[in-house]
Amino acid sequence: MTVGQIPQAVERPRSAARTGTGAVRSGGLPRTSMTARRHRAFYMFTSPWIVGFLLLTVGPMAYALWLSFTTFDGISPNWSFVGLANYRELLADQVTWDSLSRAGVFALTSVPLSIAAGLALAVLVNRPLRARGLWRTLLYLPAVVPPVGAGLVFKALFNRDSGAANGVLNIFGIDAIAWLDDPYARYVILMAVLWGAGNVMIISLAGLQDVPRELHEAARIDGASAWRTFRSVTVPLLSPVLLFQAVTGMIASVQTIMPLLIAANPTPAGVTAIPQTNYMYMMHVFAEYFALGRYGYASALLWVLFVLILIATGLIFKLTSGVVFYNVDPEAKK
Amino acid sequence: MHAQAAGTRPGRPSRRRFLALSAAGGAAVGATALSGCALRVAGAATGGGESITMMVKLDDVSTELIQQAQRELGIAITVVQDDITRLIAMLTSGNPPDLVRGVGALDAPFYAARGVAENLDPYFAASSVLRVEDLDPANDLWRFDGTTQGKGPRYGMAKDFSQDAMFWFNTAQFDRAGVEYPSETEPITYEEWAEKAERLVVRKNGQTTVYGGSYNGVNIVILLTNLVAAAGGRLFSPDFTRVDFTTPEARRALTWYVEYAKAKVGPSLIQPNPDAWDGPTYVANRMAMSGSGYWLGGMINAEPKIAEVSRLAPAPVFEGGPRISSCQAGTGMWMPKKARNKDAAWRVFEWFFGEGPAKARAAGGWGIPTLKSLRPLMPKKEEYQKRVLRVQEAELRHFSVTPFTPYAKWDALEALINQVMPAAMNGAISVDTLAGRLNSSINEQLKRGKEQVG
Repeated sequence: MTVGQIPQAVERPRSAARTGTGAVRSGGLPRTSMTARRHRAFYMFTSPWIVGFLLLTVGPMAYALWLSFTTFDGISPNWSFVGLANYRELLADQVTWDSLSRAGVFALTSVPLSIAAGLALAVLVNRPLRARGLWRTLLYLPAVVPPVGAGLVFKALFNRDSGAANGVLNIFGIDAIAWLDDPYARYVILMAVLWGAGNVMIISLAGLQDVPRELHEAARIDGASAWRTFRSVTVPLLSPVLLFQAVTGMIASVQTIMPLLIAANPTPAGVTAIPQTNYMYMMHVFAEYFALGRYGYASALLWVLFVLILIATGLIFKLTSGVVFYNVDPEAKK
Repeated sequence: MHAQAAGTRPGRPSRRRFLALSAAGGAAVGATALSGCALRVAGAATGGGESITMMVKLDDVSTELIQQAQRELGIAITVVQDDITRLIAMLTSGNPPDLVRGVGALDAPFYAARGVAENLDPYFAASSVLRVEDLDPANDLWRFDGTTQGKGPRYGMAKDFSQDAMFWFNTAQFDRAGVEYPSETEPITYEEWAEKAERLVVRKNGQTTVYGGSYNGVNIVILLTNLVAAAGGRLFSPDFTRVDFTTPEARRALTWYVEYAKAKVGPSLIQPNPDAWDGPTYVANRMAMSGSGYWLGGMINAEPKIAEVSRLAPAPVFEGGPRISSCQAGTGMWMPKKARNKDAAWRVFEWFFGEGPAKARAAGGWGIPTLKSLRPLMPKKEEYQKRVLRVQEAELRHFSVTPFTPYAKWDALEALINQVMPAAMNGAISVDTLAGRLNSSINEQLKRGKEQVG
């Protein structure tokens, strides 16, 4: 066999795979065996995810969709199929709209704030500092604290009668504040979100380290200030990372359960005692499911939220399509 | 070619077939995993022989108690943390626990009306440990005849009980504030209680350092039900399908509770207790009065310094209202109708409610035993224990049961009350507006429940 013959032998199965022909034999083995093996390998490697996706995502979603057309409450024998009644009811439910608008306002406030805070921290720890690794670790640490733990810490810190926050105020002769009640409760939630900005920081830091150094040097040679360089070079190159954080942040923030975690009584019955400003959409869903036992109605609420998140995500992509700069041309990869 | 690509080629599974197989495999794996969830939780005993699953609070059945059951009964107990969402999942998957913790005053009619609780009458009739004639009337909270609580078959039993409208007070705090002690023989009025609480509370820099008094009942919904009864009315309609907070008696009860919260003399929805409940705050000498029944004595007795200055007082009354002193809980257990190991579960039930554990509870002062024969075990060694016991024995003459609706879970009504009550407590809405909103939301929930029970 000459060297020139090798590519020919290798090429044949590939072209067979592309055209879909498979019965050509070579040396007694089916030519498709390589293709079949490749397919099998693909399915073997992806099957854990596919099984998990079907079992833990598609299955529950389909079950919730079916529930949303019923009056099922988990226990009672006489539940019934009610068609779209739950969806009609939620359109007329003022609590639903109020909680949804609070969740929207929370997302519009918390996402930009946490992205800004995370980006600022990333810029800081991207500079040459002493013990830079330690700073990065310390700033990231709060993000790895489980939300339940973070909730308990914030609940203890901001308790009116025994919290450290009021202890500090008392040192300065300021009367205690009921932080966990309206109107302050919303700020405590915002603080809890910002406390976990390390997550945003770590992703932004990865993005910053991807920005080519020569672009910064070129800007500096051209006389650009640090701020101008950041605004005109760094931010555009970081824009895909920021878009990713905006989308995932929005999805996470409208589903936040932090208000429940800092609630005085985080139980099904206690969820409705959450201060009004923190009574967001997921609190309403939780109360309908587990306090009122309205599995059908609560499932309809969740499906509406799912659709709204899809729409919001589409809108974000649409609105940012002109300002997000991709350093790699996706077409070039094809 | 298309046919081949679609999946007829040997050795290559089609996408559709693969997805179908994945789904089936996933469902099988998931079903196995989920049915095993209940069995893999803390407290599982091992070994041969029979085994049962109990859904309780981890404090109810300690590891030592599980080992004791294994030794004495030869039955392994797996404990599942008490949680309504988990219970519903287990009931709907056909894999319920064999025994479930419940609050007799509130849960018994709910589960009985939905046909998920086992009628225990035949078991009681055959038992030599839990004889019907030895059962305290408090156990009637676990009876339900299809309409009314307190009559009909027994669906469970209370592990102990208290008259939960009574209150404990700390004489040291009264001495500090120069406030006259409440009588231990005659009830004071609710208005007098509130007045004392106002004089006893200690505040500093906007923080409450000593609560004057706490009065929140076992939970708000049963508290309000009882306050309305103490005012001479009834919250539920005779068929339990509606509530009415606009009657003069209900308004009186509602007004008192809203004023209690507004005064900020004790924990409430708008001033939550950092300790979450009265016990730790009271024994830390930071609460002058706690609206709790005899059962709190179990915790107080463990702190001799606090026990010596603690007294128990009769349930307050409203001026002109009847003297009643109800049990708001009667916490115990029930057996799901679809429990798999009913006989073993009943043996554990008998042991837990009538043998070693029941005797230990009675001697510890954690409530009044629910078997009359265990009453002599109640603590009376120390002078303060004798004093408390005398008050409690006198109060039993006024024992009452306030029936609860079978058409809603108490959590649901509590959630609806929590939703609107803070606005009234903060002065944003009047008691009349509050009453109207409570009627509207609670009656809607009861209507749904009535439709589902049938």
